[in-house]
Amino acid sequence: MDNHFGSHLSVVVDLSPAQWHRAAADRDSPLAVDAFVSQLLAFLNAHIALKHENSLAVFAAFPGKSVMLYASTDPPDRPTPIDPNSYPPFKRLDSTVTARITAQLAADIHPEEPSALVGAITKALCCLSCSSRHCESNLLFLPDINRLSLGHDEASDPRILVLSVSPDLATSYIPIMNSIFSAQKLKITIDACQIFGPDTVFLQQAAHLTGGSYLYLDRRDALLQYLIMSFLPPPPIRKVLAVPTQDRIDFRAACFCHKNIVDIGSCAQSAYPSSASPCPSVPPVEQSSPSKHYSVSMLPVRRPAPQHQTVAGEYTPVSSSSEWDPGHQRI
Amino acid sequence: MPPKHIDDMDIDSDYSDISIELGNISKGRNRKGKATDKRKQDKGKAKAKEQAYTWEASFTRSWDTVQEDEAGSLQTSVEDLMARGRRRRLLAPASAIRRTIIRHLILILDLSSAMMDRDMRPTRFDLMLQYAREFITEWFDQNPLGQIGVVGMRAGLGERIGEMSGNPQEVLKSISDRIKLEPTGEPSLQNAIEIACGTMSHLPTHSSREILIIFGSLTTCDPGNIHDTLESCFKSKVRISVVALAAEMKICRDLCDKTGGQFGVAMNEGHFKDLLFELVPPPAQRAITRTAGTGTTNPAADLMMMGFPTRLPDASPRSLCVCHSEMKSQGFLCPRCLSKVCDVPTDCDICGLMIVSSPHLARSYHHLFPVKPYDAVQNESDILEGSTACHACARPFPTKAAPAKEGLSPVGRYRCPDCHNDFCSECDVFVHDVVHCCPGCGK
Repeated sequence: MDNHFGSHLSVVVDLSPAQWHRAAADRDSPLAVDAFVSQLLAFLNAHIALKHENSLAVFAAFPGKSVMLYASTDPPDRPTPIDPNSYPPFKRLDSTVTARITAQLAADIHPEEPSALVGAITKALCCLSCSSRHCESNLLFLPDINRLSLGHDEASDPRILVLSVSPDLATSYIPIMNSIFSAQKLKITIDACQIFGPDTVFLQQAAHLTGGSYLYLDRRDALLQYLIMSFLPPPPIRKVLAVPTQDRIDFRAACFCHKNIVDIGSCAQSAYPSSASPCPSVPPVEQSSPSKHYSVSMLPVRRPAPQHQTVAGEYTPVSSSSEWDPGHQRI
Repeated sequence: MPPKHIDDMDIDSDYSDISIELGNISKGRNRKGKATDKRKQDKGKAKAKEQAYTWEASFTRSWDTVQEDEAGSLQTSVEDLMARGRRRRLLAPASAIRRTIIRHLILILDLSSAMMDRDMRPTRFDLMLQYAREFITEWFDQNPLGQIGVVGMRAGLGERIGEMSGNPQEVLKSISDRIKLEPTGEPSLQNAIEIACGTMSHLPTHSSREILIIFGSLTTCDPGNIHDTLESCFKSKVRISVVALAAEMKICRDLCDKTGGQFGVAMNEGHFKDLLFELVPPPAQRAITRTAGTGTTNPAADLMMMGFPTRLPDASPRSLCVCHSEMKSQGFLCPRCLSKVCDVPTDCDICGLMIVSSPHLARSYHHLFPVKPYDAVQNESDILEGSTACHACARPFPTKAAPAKEGLSPVGRYRCPDCHNDFCSECDVFVHDVVHCCPGCGK
């Protein structure tokens, strides 16, 4: 299990000012953005420290735009001042990330726009694909010393960790699903951690489909512990560890016409692109099932666990998911 | 077929090549039927102009396709190939196309003795099996709600190799055993198409019915008039596509043209694969069939009942599943009758509801919502202020302009028409072929 290759980690951080403001004002367990960044930096340092070959890329999703904050392949912007009390790579990472976040926040952003999480994830995918292509000739995400001796990127176990605070954005359903599927194809694990706000279905599905883990944070002040315990070990090591996994994933959908949650819907056998409205005039067909709607574009939602299931005459209570809360049901 | 026979054939084809040049003296050596003999000679004639032996072919081809530039680098030919890919993508219609989500495909494999020819390495037959497997995997990846059945053409008969199934593993298993599919005899197009149509006859008229024929022979041995079969296919809206390995045949071309399918003759191994994989994305639905059929009068016929199940956690109490009657803890609950099935997509065994998970549906969406093709930035003056690196992968753009080529940007930049961000050529290809989502506009 222990190979001499490093593992690559891409971290996508959701830095929506509005959501972070709410998170800082949260009554139960407040988490301010500066506390978050310092815990995040500790986690990133831990990843670099874990193995010399480990590589890292950090992306941030701001309202309406996404930015690359740090890549271990990047040449440093300017020579970092030598600090006798800190390890130079840590220092470089910390100063680059904080400097770029500050620069982005100082620039004009429109806080009312939703976070460009999809853009950030897609950029992470593009970077990974580029790097893996370059890896074949010269291993790019690895420090210089190892570039000559190694052969292929397969050992680098690329993964993407998404730290999100925003709720799901219905309009980004299709692009986010597309990026999940391409991650699945490229064998990239997506881990997701919802720090604040309602449970997100998209990230849950992303983690489920790519074999990563999804975590909903109950105690935000323990963020660093959550991160280190469940997201620091690379995927091959997780097989022997008991990392938290999802217990119940809902594949229900919301109908396109009324945005209602349906478990039985009618789906067009063939569909037009969005330019043509799919089937607005179709009257609902009378059915015994009360929840019947037409849906062409499906939007998955989480739903309450049925209290009981009956299978083959048995009457068995279902262990309901602990973190689920009916108040978080959306759309 | 014993291996001895294979060797025999190899000798045959070599001699038939020679016989063209030396005059017709190898008649006695050919222990095959007249038709086969003739076919070999036809092939030999076409080939004899270029090279005498089949094994020489692969070498000359690789030299032909790749040309070195003045500096001895292969960079230019690689760029040319990319430019060709870009042009093809730009040719794709940008307007709204109606595409089928639920597809039914019968894959007809030629298992006649012509498939033992070695003009494709290692043999046509082995290559066909290998590509068919890749095709099936890719097809199910892009059409998760579709179903594939497999039919073989062998010894003048059509034989059912794999039943119509929505499970890729089942379909792959049906063609996994090479020994069972050993080619022999003559193919029969008519018999195979009749079987395929019979398999799909019960399907509702609004679902797509497609036949894909991989055809290596130059003959077909039919019991009746194949044009009647063609007519009935046309009436029942079956779309036939043919990938021929030998040469174009009039009947194959007719089959495709009349039913709206695609026809192609594979020139080499790579082209064979390209032709097959062109058939993976769902075809555009023909407007004629929509207006002529029941589609317009009864729009509800276009819609299908689907159930979205709940996945049970691995830690849930064990119970029996309705599909295999096995005690299992994980599974999916049918939303209508709450019975437990093992896997999706499937039809519920109790109430017959089609159960899919919404990611399955979403997987086919990128065909419906494609990313707009990026424009190649042609002039250095068009470069926007402050953009020095690719917007996606943050790799710096080249500073020197390369000589301009059709479809390629001399400054290595490709601009999204919506968000006006510049991307490098690698990311451009990656975004359009894999991610289907622009990193700049997030759409």
